[in-house]
Amino acid sequence: MSPSHGMYFEDVEIGDEDLTPAMTLTEAHAALYRGLTGDAPDDPTAIPDLLPLCLSTGLGWRMARPPLVVLAFMGVEWAIHRPLRIGDTVHGRARAVVKRSMREAGVIIEDHEILDQRGDVVQGGRFTFLVAKRTPARPAASA
Amino acid sequence: MTDPRRYYDEIEVGEEYESPGRTITETDIVLFAGLSGDYNVLHTDAEFMKTSIFGERIAHGLLGLAIQSGLFSRATGAYATLAFVGLRWKFKAPIKIGDTIRLRARVRTKRDIGKPDRGLVTVERTVVNQRGEVVQEGETDLLVERRSP
Repeated sequence: MSPSHGMYFEDVEIGDEDLTPAMTLTEAHAALYRGLTGDAPDDPTAIPDLLPLCLSTGLGWRMARPPLVVLAFMGVEWAIHRPLRIGDTVHGRARAVVKRSMREAGVIIEDHEILDQRGDVVQGGRFTFLVAKRTPARPAASA
Repeated sequence: MTDPRRYYDEIEVGEEYESPGRTITETDIVLFAGLSGDYNVLHTDAEFMKTSIFGERIAHGLLGLAIQSGLFSRATGAYATLAFVGLRWKFKAPIKIGDTIRLRARVRTKRDIGKPDRGLVTVERTVVNQRGEVVQEGETDLLVERRSP
């Protein structure tokens, strides 16, 4: 069974760029994140380093197009270029750069960037997902 | 009062740390979905997930990554970190509700970046569950302050 709503492997086009709506990072975001993760900051007015990365998939859920039918999140490579402060407003930019078809599913690699209110890229990297196929090839019959 | 933080000069390649365990609860997953806005069925639809290969809801991969970062600060004295520069990370196996994870970390390299006041420390990290299975692993690069000369 698959969820009927979503972007399947076949629906993804290499190079299509998505821009997400923006979100202002508040004291509440920082406090919730710190409470949940136990990551203790030196500077209470800073946004925790990994919080924007954690928001990057969720920002994509606010777009008109349906989300990827992800079977598994396989990996991430990420670089943090500059710190963010409470009150900064971020949005995401994403595009698929690699599609690799396998028998039952497919691998999709996406470039993701987080931009601030000035349009500067503050964090970015690559996500690798295992994504469901709309019509998976039938597994070979067992002997 | 002496500064309890650990500086670049004092951190040694090959140092190993192990964190306390942390049990991942349904509450952790629900809070992370609310905070991140990632409502993927993998993390939020218990009925659908009964039919999946996992058999139940699993934690967001990025939740595990964020929690190990918190566990790191409980595994060793705080580094005098100036910046978190980057990471390379693999999600190897699911974290399920009720699993207890801990972090094993090892200082892999120290690199001079041509600045008198700081250096780059790369830490190898493995997140294991209560059965000792590796659920996540990777490397993180941290810019750490040198003690003033």
